[in-house]
Amino acid sequence: MSIELPVKGQTGFEPATLVFGIGNSGRSDDGLGWVFLDWLQQDSQFPGQVEYRYQLQVEDAALVSRAGRVIFVDSYKGTLPGGFQWKSCGRTNDFEFTSHVLPPRAVMYFCRDLYGKSPPADILMIQGSSWGLGTEVSPAAKHHLASALRFFKNKVLS
Amino acid sequence: MNTTSRKITIDPVTRVEGHGRVTIQLDERGKVERARFHIVEFRGFERFIQGHPYWEAPLLVQRLCGICPVSHHLAAAKAIDQVYGVDPQDLHPTASRIRRLLHYAQVFQSHALHFFYLASPDLLFGINAPVQKRSVGAVALEHSDLARKGIQMRQFGQELIKALAGKKIHGITAIPGGVHKNFYPEERDYFLQENETPSIDTMIEWSQEVVAFIKDYHDRHFSWLDSFASYPSGHLGLVGHNGTHELYDGCMRAIDSNGEVTLNDVHSDSYLKYFGEGVEKWSYMKFPFLRHLGRKSGWNRVGPLARLNVCDSISTPLANQELCEFKAYTNGRPNNHTMHSHWARLIEVLHCAEQIRNLLTDRTILDEVERPPVNRRPEGIGIIEAPRGTLIHHYKVDEKGSITKCNLIVSTTHNNEPMNRAVQWVAQNVLDQQQEISDGMLNQVEVAIRAYDPCLSCATHSMGQMPLILTVLDAAGNVTAEHVKESNEYRTAS
Repeated sequence: MSIELPVKGQTGFEPATLVFGIGNSGRSDDGLGWVFLDWLQQDSQFPGQVEYRYQLQVEDAALVSRAGRVIFVDSYKGTLPGGFQWKSCGRTNDFEFTSHVLPPRAVMYFCRDLYGKSPPADILMIQGSSWGLGTEVSPAAKHHLASALRFFKNKVLS
Repeated sequence: MNTTSRKITIDPVTRVEGHGRVTIQLDERGKVERARFHIVEFRGFERFIQGHPYWEAPLLVQRLCGICPVSHHLAAAKAIDQVYGVDPQDLHPTASRIRRLLHYAQVFQSHALHFFYLASPDLLFGINAPVQKRSVGAVALEHSDLARKGIQMRQFGQELIKALAGKKIHGITAIPGGVHKNFYPEERDYFLQENETPSIDTMIEWSQEVVAFIKDYHDRHFSWLDSFASYPSGHLGLVGHNGTHELYDGCMRAIDSNGEVTLNDVHSDSYLKYFGEGVEKWSYMKFPFLRHLGRKSGWNRVGPLARLNVCDSISTPLANQELCEFKAYTNGRPNNHTMHSHWARLIEVLHCAEQIRNLLTDRTILDEVERPPVNRRPEGIGIIEAPRGTLIHHYKVDEKGSITKCNLIVSTTHNNEPMNRAVQWVAQNVLDQQQEISDGMLNQVEVAIRAYDPCLSCATHSMGQMPLILTVLDAAGNVTAEHVKESNEYRTAS
């Protein structure tokens, strides 16, 4: 049935990994987070849970609270060495004035504040270059995406 | 005192769905000359849906909105049912129940979103609170129990929508003359039990708590809530048999500010006879009015406050008890207190929760749905009460089944004139002849608009920053000062 139950793959000893892909697949490279999740599920037996998001919401903190580890994958407007960057996600309450935009660090802050849980969290940023209307990511972004996925497999799955 | 006229612009208005702008023109003495709420988005749905096959309409028009797609889905479905050849009373009873369940879930989650995420910061922290306090984030930090419940109430509604439509946003439930899928016991049982999503019994309990919260808040702040942005107006909404509160299918009833009936339980088929739409050069949103009363006095509020004003009773006991108390406050006369919209909205939250339990515990909701045979007609009109008010969808199709005409009067359109009146009220009562316009004063403009929970088009996904800009112009139109609000603070533009 189509209900979000506890994180898939979760066992009594090892809560599973939750990966958010953030973006808009109708906006070219803004959809890198979604395409990453597509590739991740096609190319490996990823045992965790994936979630596609246009934007993060406060209620995502509840989902995060049930995960053993959280990774946020998003596109990056700018230049990154090697085309992607992996970094630890902090927990701060410096959210925006609008509830339409919530950064990962704010979700992690709400998770700790509302649910008393602080699973380890990381961010994977993938360099994009094309941001207009369109459902295809650019060739350059695809190259960065492949590099980021290789890194992810070594870092998280091995 | 300033010696030049000034124009204040609030763009975009925050914590509403979609993008709007407010302009307030002050004269040399700082007196308000004009205040307007502009809708600056253009969507064009009525036009580009032409040529599509009629059965696509309930799917396509959902994209009008990311918050209330279910309302557009169901209003279009009701209209397309008629094109298919099925009137509401001829729809399979279980199909009607499933659609109603979907609709109550939608109203429940939308109202929860509005109250907890958008409106509660103004109530909990005050309208003059620093901008970093005026967000759901601050509510979560300082009122975590309320925030947790708000999050889970919204989640409950969204999960129920997902169970019925396949997705929380832009799913599919209704098809011409029926529903896309049956409702299964394991899906139903999930919402009757405590899970990661609390049960419907818990939702009713929490809904009662939040109604108690707003009544207590009113007791402590009645002078502000009773007066702020209040003005006499007409009220419009659907009613069911015997004048009961109705969200899914009924007749249209309107009353004036004194309670006199101005539209007497009219069937949806005749809406064109009674409603006209005015236009202004400064807004893409139209101004609906009752033809027989004219543009000047025929406008009506819609939404929770209007619905509670036009109905005689509510069909569920707990919400009806609250309705009696709500009506008693104004001695049974129409309630024209704009800020009481929040109170009315929370009574509807309770009603929806009760209705959801009624439907979940009705065994016939699990019955197999049969679709009647097609018997095509050239036209269909669907009217529904969306969370924000009366929503009208009207389609005409040719002999091939292609849509040739589409007319949509969305809830927020009815509230166009009322929102402009609310902005005018704040301009005249708060901003008039003030030498310095503070952030708190500007927020009061938004507080007045927010009471209507306008949905200006949440499906729009903007790229990049969305700052709130305050611009002050002199009489010649030159920018004399500009403030840009980004994240948690105002900065003065260089």
